[in-house]
Amino acid sequence: MRRQSYILLLAGLAGISACKPDADFRTPAANYTPERPAHFPPAHYTHDKNKYSQAGFELGRKLFFDPILSANNTISCGSCHKQEHAFADVNIRLSKGIDGKTGIRHTPAIFNMAWNTSFMWDGGVNQIEVMPLTPLTNKVEMAETISNIVYKLNRHKEYPTLFKNVFHRDSIDDQQMFWALAQYMSNLVSASSKYDDVYTGKTTYTKDQQDGYNLFKQNCSACHTEPLLTDYSFKNNGLDYQFTDSGRYRITRREEDWGAFKVPTLRNIAVTSPYMHDGRFTTLEQVLHHYADSVKQTPSLSPLLVKNGKPGLHLTADEQRKIILFLRTLTDTKFLTKAGLTE
Amino acid sequence: MKTTLSKYSLILAATAILGLDSCKRDKDPEPGPIVPVYGSVNGKINYVFGADMVPWQLNKLYVHPKTGDSLTFTNFRFFISNFKLKKADGTWWTQPESYYLIDAKTAAESSFSIPNVPEGEYTAVEYTMGIDSLHNVSGAQTGALTLSSGMFWDWNSGYIMLKAEGDSPNSSTGKFALHLGGFSGTNNIVTVRTAEFGKTVKVTNGTTPTMTFTVNPARLWHTSPGLATISVIHMPGAEAVTMAKDFYNNVTLSSVQ
Repeated sequence: MRRQSYILLLAGLAGISACKPDADFRTPAANYTPERPAHFPPAHYTHDKNKYSQAGFELGRKLFFDPILSANNTISCGSCHKQEHAFADVNIRLSKGIDGKTGIRHTPAIFNMAWNTSFMWDGGVNQIEVMPLTPLTNKVEMAETISNIVYKLNRHKEYPTLFKNVFHRDSIDDQQMFWALAQYMSNLVSASSKYDDVYTGKTTYTKDQQDGYNLFKQNCSACHTEPLLTDYSFKNNGLDYQFTDSGRYRITRREEDWGAFKVPTLRNIAVTSPYMHDGRFTTLEQVLHHYADSVKQTPSLSPLLVKNGKPGLHLTADEQRKIILFLRTLTDTKFLTKAGLTE
Repeated sequence: MKTTLSKYSLILAATAILGLDSCKRDKDPEPGPIVPVYGSVNGKINYVFGADMVPWQLNKLYVHPKTGDSLTFTNFRFFISNFKLKKADGTWWTQPESYYLIDAKTAAESSFSIPNVPEGEYTAVEYTMGIDSLHNVSGAQTGALTLSSGMFWDWNSGYIMLKAEGDSPNSSTGKFALHLGGFSGTNNIVTVRTAEFGKTVKVTNGTTPTMTFTVNPARLWHTSPGLATISVIHMPGAEAVTMAKDFYNNVTLSSVQ
């Protein structure tokens, strides 16, 4: 009888151990829901395959701030994307990549990426997971190869364990690296500015801010659509008569996209100077002055920037001032200082 | 003591049975009357050049019969995907996650295996030259679709479905680099092909037929101008469509055995 018990005990254990699901299909150890504000529309990126977890977010954060991702281990994503500037760069027109090299466009801010329908100033990148491919491999940015990053990560003293905890695979592959970065970037969510508090009825604007908001709705919100403050379209906003950077045309080869760039969100705009795809303006006053009276008429100019048959929005100095007062309500100090976002 | 042990035994026995039973539900598909048996089908790429179909390989000089260009290929890679096999009863078996990156560099990378093919008799194959649109917009992937292969455009998302690079004195730079891709609208180069076996081919656990596909890199210039006119293609567009279609539409199933 005693022997029988042991046999049955063994059978029981064998049965239980065979029930362990395949590693790849195990649910994440720490379940965690990505931050999706109630007053935002549904996110574009839904984590269907790349299951979200707190450990995955933290792994992505570690990668984001680790220079191991660059060819000579000197710069990280975080070198140019800084939290206090809404993950844009620090008041620099063109960011410095590897060996101090510079590209042609201004470092964009990174937040609310899960709602983005395309990436980069020209929208050439179609999905958040493949977005880092550009800066990681670009010769003037981080100049590394994906296979060498995977090689370095697999030989690192911490990463193999960290990746295994999140993705439960035997070794690190590039999909896991891109997935971890996507978990981090798609959950940098800025939705707690004064604008949001007014939008959700928790507070009200000052008189000038309210005037600025009304002017914004008349002049700007056709492209800077609420509540994300962009419609993710591409527009030629009349910066030049001759474009040295063809913008969206580079991707589509359509004449109407000549000199068109992605409409950026206006959230946190007061802390993401300089402005425009090439960082040509350093102040919001210069930006408003451009839209008021300096818009250049070219065939691909957005018709929304022509008023009364003349290019420009024709805003008075006082109207410009009030719009800027409204724009400052879009600064999300809680997000800029939130703990746990920067390594 | 004896009684206690018996009680434990019963509990343990129950645990064991429950444990095994729950595994069965987790792991096995619906039990059916027929237990499926699987075999596999191999694929092999045979490279030829020009209308004479002379054997072709990398790092060897060829003169194009139409353009007259001297061409030495140093890199020739392309995707073949989405295999389906037609059963003798007219139904199709579709291979899940069916993506292969072919590299002319080695014989090993110019052949592939289609696993888990249900045992049976087959009469035709359908395959896709290139990568379907869905997988061009699906983010980071694994296997043949890894982003580390250099076959994905970083600045203009999408797979480089065919990469032909090499040297030529007829190009102003001495080199050519043709990166062909495009999955939407008029830029779409993805081409679905079917080929009848002309006979019934048996697949069993021990019988693995090999499909040999003949590809002809000279066909890239079947209707396109020579390297003096186009030596670099690095994005989707009309030039890529013409070259890719001319090449893809000439791919033939040369034998199944």
